[in-house]
Amino acid sequence: MNSVVSSVAAIAFLYIILIFLIAWYAHHRKETGRSIISNPVIYSLSLGVYCTSWTFFGSVGKAATTGIDFVLIYLGPSLTAFSWLFLLRRIIKISKEHNITSIADFLSQRYGKSPWLGALVTVISFLGIMPYIALQLKAVSTSFLLLSGAQKDTFAYINLGTGISIPISLFLALTLALFSIVFGARRLVSSERHEGLIAAVAFESLVKLVALLVVGLFVTYGLFNGFIDIFERFRSINPDQFSQLFTFNTSKNDPNYISTFTLLFLSMGAIMLLPRQFHVMVIENSDESHIATAMWLFPAYLFLINLFVMPIAIGGILFTGSSSGADYFVLSIPQLAGHHYIALFAFLGGFSAAAGMVMVESIAISTMLLNHIFMPIIVRCTPQAWFPILLINLKRFGIVLVVLLGYFYYRVIGDSYTLVNMGLISFSAAAQFMPAMLGGLYWKRGNKTGAICGILFGFLIWLYTLLLPSFSKSGWISESLLSNGPFGIALLKPTALFGLTGMDLWSHSLFWSMLFNIGSYIICSILLNQNEQERDQVHKFIGIFSREEVHRRTERTRLSKPVTTDQFIALMSKFIGEHEAQRSFLLYSNERDISGDEAVSEFELPNLKRFAEKTLAGSVGGAAARAIVNNFLSDLGSSMEPVYDIFSSIRTNLDQNRESLFVRLKASEIINRTLDLQVIMDDLLRLLVKEFKLDVALILTKNEAGTFSVISMQGENLSDSNPPLWYLENVPYINLVYRDQKAHFINDLQLDRATPKLDQTVAEGFISCAHIPVFREGEPVIAVLSLFSKSIAGLFTQEFIKLLSSLTGQLAQAITIVHEVEAKQLERSQKEVALLQTARITRDMEIAQQIQESFLPDSAPTIAGVDIAGHCISAAHVGGDYYDFFLREGHIVDIVIADVSGHSVGAALIMSEVRTLLRAEANSIHTPRVVLETLNNQLHDDLSRAELFITMFYAEYNAETGILSYSNAGHNHPVLQRTNESLSQELDTEGLILGVKKDVLFEERSVMLTSGDVLLFYTDGLTEACNSNAEMFGMEGLYSLLKACGHLSATEIIDLFYARIHDFTGSQNLQDDISLVVVKKH
Amino acid sequence: MKRLFTQILNRLQLPESWIIFFILGIIMMTFPFLQIFNKPTILFGVPLLFLYLMVGWIISIIVIYLFMLASRHANKSTEEKIEP
Repeated sequence: MNSVVSSVAAIAFLYIILIFLIAWYAHHRKETGRSIISNPVIYSLSLGVYCTSWTFFGSVGKAATTGIDFVLIYLGPSLTAFSWLFLLRRIIKISKEHNITSIADFLSQRYGKSPWLGALVTVISFLGIMPYIALQLKAVSTSFLLLSGAQKDTFAYINLGTGISIPISLFLALTLALFSIVFGARRLVSSERHEGLIAAVAFESLVKLVALLVVGLFVTYGLFNGFIDIFERFRSINPDQFSQLFTFNTSKNDPNYISTFTLLFLSMGAIMLLPRQFHVMVIENSDESHIATAMWLFPAYLFLINLFVMPIAIGGILFTGSSSGADYFVLSIPQLAGHHYIALFAFLGGFSAAAGMVMVESIAISTMLLNHIFMPIIVRCTPQAWFPILLINLKRFGIVLVVLLGYFYYRVIGDSYTLVNMGLISFSAAAQFMPAMLGGLYWKRGNKTGAICGILFGFLIWLYTLLLPSFSKSGWISESLLSNGPFGIALLKPTALFGLTGMDLWSHSLFWSMLFNIGSYIICSILLNQNEQERDQVHKFIGIFSREEVHRRTERTRLSKPVTTDQFIALMSKFIGEHEAQRSFLLYSNERDISGDEAVSEFELPNLKRFAEKTLAGSVGGAAARAIVNNFLSDLGSSMEPVYDIFSSIRTNLDQNRESLFVRLKASEIINRTLDLQVIMDDLLRLLVKEFKLDVALILTKNEAGTFSVISMQGENLSDSNPPLWYLENVPYINLVYRDQKAHFINDLQLDRATPKLDQTVAEGFISCAHIPVFREGEPVIAVLSLFSKSIAGLFTQEFIKLLSSLTGQLAQAITIVHEVEAKQLERSQKEVALLQTARITRDMEIAQQIQESFLPDSAPTIAGVDIAGHCISAAHVGGDYYDFFLREGHIVDIVIADVSGHSVGAALIMSEVRTLLRAEANSIHTPRVVLETLNNQLHDDLSRAELFITMFYAEYNAETGILSYSNAGHNHPVLQRTNESLSQELDTEGLILGVKKDVLFEERSVMLTSGDVLLFYTDGLTEACNSNAEMFGMEGLYSLLKACGHLSATEIIDLFYARIHDFTGSQNLQDDISLVVVKKH
Repeated sequence: MKRLFTQILNRLQLPESWIIFFILGIIMMTFPFLQIFNKPTILFGVPLLFLYLMVGWIISIIVIYLFMLASRHANKSTEEKIEP
């Protein structure tokens, strides 16, 4: 241990502290919400973790020994970058969706969350990465020894002061492991991004790039005069080596494109599939949009880091005279040239490259170890309170394990391989994931068995053809195995399997492993079927880009026994801690609009279970999370069971399936076939029972008293004699359905969750039932459809209830239509009856009118000295007006005019009675007064019973004397118009209306008619006739008209009056009867 | 000139373009094509294969850069279409 060693160690230590500060700062920024990592440039730089110390030292080594083909290791990733926009974006989207933690998790989740596949991928990654870690340890410790001037090829020891000394590479390994733990395993959640780690990695990427550029510039322009100078010199000094190094060829100088392709292929796969690449690219990606920048920035990074590799290699050969020790030209040339600071910088660059790789790789692998190796064992135990502590420490242990295994490999293989060759072993291992990965992303048929077989066979061949020879080269395994094959069988020689020779080690291994890998993946996938879980995952992975898939997903499983949200949270707390569990549930419940204390709907439970699984997957990986949740459920006595698939799995695009469409079609046929509701309901129930294998289906309706009656009931083996009344205990549920207008169902009656209990129903052997309201949107429930099944628990899925609700909707529509049709028919028949009746009445009235008209005298009697005329026009069909003449002894005429109140049939009847009585009286000689008095007494009873009255004016004219005697019973006063106007008068006497009271005395008066007198008898219809302005014809109208027509005959006067009245009212129909009698004295 | 550039960007948005360039890259890195440049000669003082690989690399980076511009261009034009 000289002072150089300690100063180099001190600088390295300071550098580590710097990186630590950067990481801490990034972490701090993240905590305060101002991430410096979420940035496309940082993302691209972090991808530079691809360039390890293999790139830093090994590229130059390979360039100086085998030539330019080292470039292929970097051209491959540049080409792969073309595919990122669709390939990487898809992977990132899926990973974020499912909280994926590693490539093992990704593959395991894609293939039905298979724990076996996850474990297999983990083991391959773990073993495959071993040479790679060893390579880093070797590079750093060798470079450290070189820089500090110690002898190389010896394992140096560091004295820790107390007499214990440990190998420097082991010390380095432990330091790096510690570093990884600090950055990557402080918390358990692995799907979360480690911003501190990424900041450190990005910084290291920058340092190694700058370091290599500095060395390159120093060699190219410091020691030589640029590229052309180096190439020209080399060509002139050693043309043979020149042509060997600057072409793709074998050692025999033949062009060799097989190894070219192998390198290209391996590197193209490695950039995506190495666990650390997957980690920085996918798990640590903060924003999908960063991919676009990384797509050109990362190839540019690779280009820059490789630009000076060839000049350094050639310069090194020129400078040192040979290509021995070319692996460390980057360090040794500046040192030999005396530029120690450049050499130191180069050392830091190499250290950065190694540290970044070891950190990310060990974290990625330890996550896989925890999730896919340790967890499957842990989940078999009952969760304990100290589980979170155990898990995080297991993760830390994993990191140490990975690094130490790398150290072990380094100690065994040591210097027998160059850096590049060690790296390629790891690349070949990672390539085994490629078929399952690409197939998983784009091929729906790719199944679990195929993936496991493919990866397993590929891995075994890799183990046999690559890893084994690497051990035997170091002498750890006997050489005879390589040269003669196992047990002397030449066909099984690891380097020439089945006699395949003429290929380099890598191409040979790649060919056989890929042949078996792809072959068995495809064959198994084609021959075998996927199970339900796998199909589910395929939809999630391949369907992620098709929008249709997302909407089409329907629940195919149900929890047999419901679990509360609290129980889920408690479960999650056991693995990820109380705080974390509460936090994620809060996020989830906000999104889905549910709360912790509420009962969760049966259809929501599978989602809740998925959420618990996904959250746990973020910490322990998909397969383990699935096992944890499933164990938990089975402990509770619950399990995910497939929904009874009432419909077949053939679906049309409209989320309909054949069966459901068939039932809908049949139902609408039934509904439209008839208007008989009973037939419709019976047929509909029969259809449901038959198609869905129900045991009983019935339709109940509530009557006004609140009790239910069965309208229709159908089912298998229903006995008519003994009416089953068990369904009555379902009434509380049916009432609920009436109230909520929502379907109510119990998918498993045996779980005593149902309150009120349905003991009789259970005793009848029913295990599930549903009550679906029959109603139209926005209207009250008409009836309830109740379905019972004896055979299938969990029959009533969301889908099925939806179908049933739509059927009951149709039924409600049909019921409403039938009711409407019935109501219309009733109305129509009622109208017909009414019309008929009206017609009959009208006819009767017409007859009555005819009869009544015949009661009025046809013509006035002819008597000497006077001209008499009378006429009546009725307003209604029958009226109450009456006038009559009775001629006695040839010279006496009795004139009567009367008006029965109202225009009813009653009035008409009274009128005819009056007529009969008067006719009987008229033959005997009475004065008007006596006639009225007699009439009053005779009619009183009839009139008061009918609540009618009669006004009557009775006059008696004696043509011999010319005297008119008269009595009035409340009738309009007849007007006597005389030629001498002053003598004109209205005739009136004292007396009451007929029918008011009995034994009324009437006054009688008389008047002498002289020549030219016109006497007008009229009923109130004349004076009360109204025009459109509601003005009455009145007495004035009467007088003026009468005055104007004194010269006319009696008939003409009547005609004139009627004409004038029609003019006045403006209509042919009168409001009231008008009767007129005119007596004119010659 | 600008129109031509926009036109190229529009063409590059097609997913087919990506795949064509990806396959083209692989073809140029494998046997028959590589044979042309796999010769120990010097062009402009630089070994032919070295020159071919490095220049090809730069071109591929530029092509990807153009692709990225194209996809940004596409995003921008769809945004413009939506906004007014």
